[in-house]
Amino acid sequence: MRNIMISKMLSPNAVLKRTAKSVTAIAAGAAAFSAFAMAQTVAIMDGQVHTVSDGVIENGDVIIRDGRITQIGADLTAPPGATVIDATGKVVTPGLIAPYTSIGLVEIGLDDEGNDSSPDSGFPLGAALNAVDAYNPTSTLIPINRAAGLTRALSAPGAGDSLFGGKAAVIDLSGQTNSIMRADAAQIAVMGYGGAARAGDTRMGAWALMRETLDEARSYHANPNDYVRRPHDGRITVSDLKALGPVINANQPLMVTANGANDIRTLIRLKNTYRLNVVLVGGSEAWRVADDLAAANIPVILSGLANLPSQFEDIDSTLMNAARLHAADVRIAFYDGSHNARLIRQHAGNAVAHGLPFDAALAALTLSAAQMLGVEAQLGSLETGKIADVVIWDGDPLEVTTRPEAVFINGRPQDLNNRQRMLMERYRDLSRGDLPHAYRGGE
Amino acid sequence: MYKPGWQKTGWTALAVLMLSACSQQNNAGSEDADAADDTPPTQTQSAPNDAADDSAASADGPVRPPRDPYPSTYEPYTSETVLLTGATVLTGTGERIENGSVLVADGRISAVGAAGAVTAPDGATTIDASGKWITPGIIDNHSHLGNYPSPSTSSTSDGNEIVSPNTAYVWTEHSVWPQDAGFTRALAGGVTSLQVLPGSANLFGGRAVTLKNVPSRSVQGMKFPGAPYGMKMACGENPKRVYGDRGGPGTRMGNFAGYRSAWIEAKAYQEKWEDYWTKYEEWAEGDSDDRGDAPDAPGRDLKLETLAGALNGDILVNMHCYRADEMVLVLDLAEEFGYEVTAFHHAIEAYKIADYLAESDICAAVWADWWGFKLEAYDTVGENAALVHAQPGGCAIIHSDSALGIQRLNQEAAKAMADGRRIGIDIEPEDAIAWITANPAKTMGILDDTGTLEAGKMADIVVWNQNPFSVYAKAEQVYVDGALLYDRDDPARSPRMDFEIGQRDNGFTGGAGQ
Repeated sequence: MRNIMISKMLSPNAVLKRTAKSVTAIAAGAAAFSAFAMAQTVAIMDGQVHTVSDGVIENGDVIIRDGRITQIGADLTAPPGATVIDATGKVVTPGLIAPYTSIGLVEIGLDDEGNDSSPDSGFPLGAALNAVDAYNPTSTLIPINRAAGLTRALSAPGAGDSLFGGKAAVIDLSGQTNSIMRADAAQIAVMGYGGAARAGDTRMGAWALMRETLDEARSYHANPNDYVRRPHDGRITVSDLKALGPVINANQPLMVTANGANDIRTLIRLKNTYRLNVVLVGGSEAWRVADDLAAANIPVILSGLANLPSQFEDIDSTLMNAARLHAADVRIAFYDGSHNARLIRQHAGNAVAHGLPFDAALAALTLSAAQMLGVEAQLGSLETGKIADVVIWDGDPLEVTTRPEAVFINGRPQDLNNRQRMLMERYRDLSRGDLPHAYRGGE
Repeated sequence: MYKPGWQKTGWTALAVLMLSACSQQNNAGSEDADAADDTPPTQTQSAPNDAADDSAASADGPVRPPRDPYPSTYEPYTSETVLLTGATVLTGTGERIENGSVLVADGRISAVGAAGAVTAPDGATTIDASGKWITPGIIDNHSHLGNYPSPSTSSTSDGNEIVSPNTAYVWTEHSVWPQDAGFTRALAGGVTSLQVLPGSANLFGGRAVTLKNVPSRSVQGMKFPGAPYGMKMACGENPKRVYGDRGGPGTRMGNFAGYRSAWIEAKAYQEKWEDYWTKYEEWAEGDSDDRGDAPDAPGRDLKLETLAGALNGDILVNMHCYRADEMVLVLDLAEEFGYEVTAFHHAIEAYKIADYLAESDICAAVWADWWGFKLEAYDTVGENAALVHAQPGGCAIIHSDSALGIQRLNQEAAKAMADGRRIGIDIEPEDAIAWITANPAKTMGILDDTGTLEAGKMADIVVWNQNPFSVYAKAEQVYVDGALLYDRDDPARSPRMDFEIGQRDNGFTGGAGQ
């Protein structure tokens, strides 16, 4: 039963339907964008092409037209009029997907005005918050992460006083105003020690409050008019209950932060009881529960670097986490904040150094992340018909010394310039010159 | 090497004079100062510590604040005579030796060179290290291991004495918990020495301490023998944010007023003691029949003692400073009060003033790519370290400030090197290795002892499975003073801290190499 619901949730039709319903205005913008993309035909020739879904093609070619991958293989012929890119000696992969960030919601972490990622203490709403309302496509984080090979991300709010953070959106990193690919892509929740701190400082409180909230949400959605007429203690706002509709129907992944094995077991019980679509975030000790996670079909977004007993719930934190989860058939992806979401590559590389197969690591950065976000029908691998998010690397994409040479989003070549690069150019030459540094670079 | 207490001028010279006398009387067995100049320090403490005795008795000399009341008790562990041969050796001095050898004897590096040029003495163990890379032990000059340890709870949060903008009186060694599991993970990352600093909430955070990364029951058992003290100062956002509604400083100009007032006070304190020592000397030389009582010593002030130590160069000043304009102001501040800044830490904007920094002989300790967590960290560039390095005389350091980052400083240096190379700055692994070995050692005053692979230095060595400037590189063996303290393939050579023992019923946790 669980599996049926999951596959329904992940089916391409469900994806399209939800997209059409929730982001009509964005779809209109995307149509205009598609017209521009129509003109673009690109042939990436003779690279080492990592399809992720179907192995590696040495001297492989990828043909992009109208924003989609139209052909992939060896010894293809570039279509007439195509922009031909010689990728000899280069590595071609799908664009990287960061499945858990606050990109577009935070510019400066410690600056109140420059940080919309989560509400202050005392604010009454949680699940009702919507990343789309604050998403800033002109954030400098976007071109900086894009230049490092990220093409898609989840822009997720963080939780304030509530267990719930709100509705996250899948975005592309083009920085265009129409770059929200899907609003309402996931709901965010924090459990474990973080949840306990919001619920009487005990994990029991956090789980009791979580169940109470889900029960109330079920009650509300069973009959909203009746619900609002009944007296309530007001602990959970109607706005939040309304927002949890897709969660209780398993139409939307609930991304739950938890680390300790005991919390993860409780999360599995919760998922089974309420038939939720759950993605685990953090999961320091997930490897200890790997078989149970696999059986419950819960993927894990984890750190590839965490290995310290930084809390009691992290005591079994280990660099082997990714490899052990993968070996148990648990789907994994990586996360590292927002400003440096780009470092998920380094996480993946370290996971490989600690036992994760290379292909699984590359999948974690692409197709697995797409699956967790419900966009695997369009993204995450180099396949005919998929959206052409493609990166051409100057070497092994998991290596810390490797950089992208070209990035395509929706089939369009992306500008790899960004604020950091411009600052570097401005101050590269410190000689006095005819005019101050403020007159240099920045174009 | 920087020699604490060996300054030639003023306050310190006088202090050293008195010190020597003390040491001969009280500590006949220890090395004297001059010997320490020529030979590597012994593992028992070198001369400056002999001043630890705070003798108030005027017959033995003037009152003198103790210089090292919590002396290092570290002694190297058992080592063999080992010849590592056939490896690519990065010496930390800018040299790269293909098919090179490193000979370790008596805990010291005894020879480094081409494989054919270094022969194993009788009784030596020869280890085939072909295909491996050998570097000096990794050194982090900005760590909070021990004072912000794992587990991280309010009980263990001991890094920031957030009670006053000037807490120069605290010594962070009194906070360092030797049982921090982070030390073991750092060891698995090749880290053999580190400087633990107080946090950056305050203008003057207190004294830093330099450690060897060796598990011990006490912090004294980790203290790097003979290393000078550091002092932490902080620019910019942190102090003004913390104290803005607690009496100030609430602005950057408030920060500077705080520094300047403190230095004025420290100068007066320094002069008071110098005056006392001069008077004492005059008294001591006077006719014992009618010279009267010895002059009274000034009262001690822990805060001003540390600041005076920084003014006279005994204590190395580590300045947390992100913004270029603030660093330039700090250079004038140091000039105004006659002290030296050893290193700017978190120098996000060092690349904007890399020329000034090189001219001033100040190292910039930076992250490879951290940015944006606050506005003063907005302007980082991946080429920061490379641009600092590219200046003639430029000194770049990659530091961690992180219990995770310290485990892979090699990867962080690799990222910074790669970004530099991409804009045409010629940086090879043999250059960039200095960013995480020799250069931090220099800022910690321990470069004469460690930080490079040179004959006579402590045998602090890492054997890597491959080029360390790779995400796939792993430290396989880590030697500290010649003792094999970490071996990735040998659980018996993988330390576990007390906190991790018995927490779980499996064999995976706690080992440094997990």
